[in-house]
Amino acid sequence: MIEAGHLAGFLALAASVVQTWYGLRGNRPMAARMAVSALCIMGISFFFLIMAFVASDFSVSLVAQNSHTLKPLIYKVAGTWGNHEGSMALWCLVVIGFSVAGALRLDTGRPIFESRALGVQGAVASGSLAYLLFASNPYLRLNPAPLQGAGLNPLLQDPALAIHPPLLYLGYVGFSFVFALAAAGLIEGRIDRQWARATRGFVLAAWVPLTIGIALGAYWAYYELGWGGWWFWDPVENASLMPWLLGSALLHSIIVTEKRGSFAAWTALLAVLAFCFSLLGAFLVRSGVLTSVHAFAVDPLRGSLLLTGLLIYGSAALGLFAWRAPALKGGSDWVLVSREGALMVNNLVLAVATLTVLIGTLFPLLAEMTGRQMSVGAPYFNLTFSPLLGALLVSLPIVQSWSWGRMAVEWQWLFASIAGAVAGVIVLSLWLLFDLPLGAAVGIALGVWLLFGAGRELLRRAVTPRRLLRLPVRVWGMTFAHAGLGIFIIGAVVETGASYERTIALGQGDSAEVAGWTLTLEKVQSGEGANWYSDEGTLVATSGQKEAVLTPSKRFYPAARMPTTETAILKTLRGDLYAALGDRRVVDGRTLWTFRVYFNPFIDLVFFGVALMALGGGMAMVPRKQPKLQAQAEQKDIASADVPEIIV
Amino acid sequence: MRYWLAFVLLPLLMAFEEPLEDPSAEARAQRLMQEIRCVACENEPISQSSAEIAGTMRVRVREMVSDGASDADVRAWFESRYGEFVLFRPSTRGMSGLILWALPFTILLLGSVGIVLMRLSGEGSESVEPVEPESFDHDNGTTL
Repeated sequence: MIEAGHLAGFLALAASVVQTWYGLRGNRPMAARMAVSALCIMGISFFFLIMAFVASDFSVSLVAQNSHTLKPLIYKVAGTWGNHEGSMALWCLVVIGFSVAGALRLDTGRPIFESRALGVQGAVASGSLAYLLFASNPYLRLNPAPLQGAGLNPLLQDPALAIHPPLLYLGYVGFSFVFALAAAGLIEGRIDRQWARATRGFVLAAWVPLTIGIALGAYWAYYELGWGGWWFWDPVENASLMPWLLGSALLHSIIVTEKRGSFAAWTALLAVLAFCFSLLGAFLVRSGVLTSVHAFAVDPLRGSLLLTGLLIYGSAALGLFAWRAPALKGGSDWVLVSREGALMVNNLVLAVATLTVLIGTLFPLLAEMTGRQMSVGAPYFNLTFSPLLGALLVSLPIVQSWSWGRMAVEWQWLFASIAGAVAGVIVLSLWLLFDLPLGAAVGIALGVWLLFGAGRELLRRAVTPRRLLRLPVRVWGMTFAHAGLGIFIIGAVVETGASYERTIALGQGDSAEVAGWTLTLEKVQSGEGANWYSDEGTLVATSGQKEAVLTPSKRFYPAARMPTTETAILKTLRGDLYAALGDRRVVDGRTLWTFRVYFNPFIDLVFFGVALMALGGGMAMVPRKQPKLQAQAEQKDIASADVPEIIV
Repeated sequence: MRYWLAFVLLPLLMAFEEPLEDPSAEARAQRLMQEIRCVACENEPISQSSAEIAGTMRVRVREMVSDGASDADVRAWFESRYGEFVLFRPSTRGMSGLILWALPFTILLLGSVGIVLMRLSGEGSESVEPVEPESFDHDNGTTL
């Protein structure tokens, strides 16, 4: 059956090439038909691949290398994309999926533009499919077939990680369609309000899953790796953060293009770069040029092919940009102190933050060329990236109410100084009274400030509280996203600044004190699952009247000959009591087990904050309800290019 | 996957890692452990490595901290012993160090100057009228 999948892969490639041809020549209906055919064919192909995993058909080389009969069904299915080749097949499927979404959703009344966007997306799909079929083919047979497979990396056998790659790919690949829309707009020389209106939804369609995907990865690292942390500034994490940051910049700049027609060239450039950074991320992760704790499928040849692809698509788009950008029309006029000015600063800082992550990630490679072996880790990013973004966010509650074009700022100074004074008092009292590190105190004040700002802006737009519910969903979306950012920052700084860690060694019946909890080791017993054995400790945690049982365990997966830690997390109001089982030792004839115990205050705020941001992004996608007549009038209004007057 | 190999083969002989008595000294030691790189692992600080050498390095950090060494002393000792590679907080020394630390702020500065110049050299801005952002339109309940 896998041969049918293989053949379907080639047919999908053919359909995508034809889609590119028709698309670039401006035949929208044919390009759309080709996209739909490619999606059906590739869907069938991917289905055959999943079926090979479900049936444990070890005559398929990929299945033999990455699956095992004893694996639970969900991980057999998820194992399809838990490896390089399978994940590339998923990538191709999603690229084509966005073609179809574009073909169905785009309704700008400019068929040539839409057709070209489908054409460019077809070119991205063709490149991806060619890479899949010729450099990382998942459909190959193995002869003779082994009786048993090698199993999936046990670390990946986890519900969060089963859906983490598809979400990340939705994000990365979503930017490919934004890229295609930018290329089509550039070819035409029209990056205007209408373009921005059509594109913004697709930016969100990429940004939201990317946000959730990154958060899931961080959450997985938190409970599965057993080190109490959730973000390590590891190259693989940075690879996903860079497109996210550029996507966030794009989300803000495209609003300026949508409302005022300004920033056209810059928005187009960001749209191109967001996808280039997605490809760069794929290259960094897959090539193994950087050492990382979680590099799962590394191959230098594939890395260089990915780099070639990045150079071809990137330079073609940037060349197109350099050629056409001067022809783009500017929008309404503005001065520095205005909403445009504020959003430009937002974009500058987000771009610099992205470059900072890029520099920090690639610098060890560059330094090595000069014969210096350097490491760049969390302290670097905490001292560069964090203050940059922090400074930007301090200004957010002040500038978010600024008017387009020009802002009269007189009273704003008063507002800013009062806010500054209040924040200063909060920081000092947290620092002196609660003995928090200064950085954490500043972060809490910043988070509270953002929450206050989000609420204030919401009320300002509603004018009277009665109208809150009648505000457009989009405004609520913005409020949730900014509030989520504030909550995230509070969680992140408290967790980083005030988390407590201790390694304890306990024999049966021994107790130890950690962060106000008394932990008593009741027993350590062995257990067994579908494809693993385990040692499971039972710790009784007591604090005053409260009592809870923690059962951290260590699993061993015989198929992969690998252990994993399964942490035990006790949720409390103040934070997580977190225990991971370490090694067994015999001291003076007594068996002792080591436990790493952490107390992570307010850690849930980190994930809750990011979830709120993603929710806000999703709400911002909801189209505005408008009376039909007005919608038509507006459509006409926008379609007649170079609208001189400003619609408020 | 050397990391996991070390995990499996971890010898039983390793000295127990007792936290320091003084909580503030222990907190300082833990912070240092987060920025010293385990020399046997893939991109991990010694605070989170199960490798034997990481345990030895942690013990050494605590020793030095309890002997009154400053953060800089501890970093210098590890650097002299294992090379610059071991520091997750890259030093500002030399050309590379300078470029690495100064680059983000330089780009920010250049970008800001660029924006200001671009705007100032621009058109006569006196004529620009303020336009309220998406405020609620009371008549038909929509915004734009």
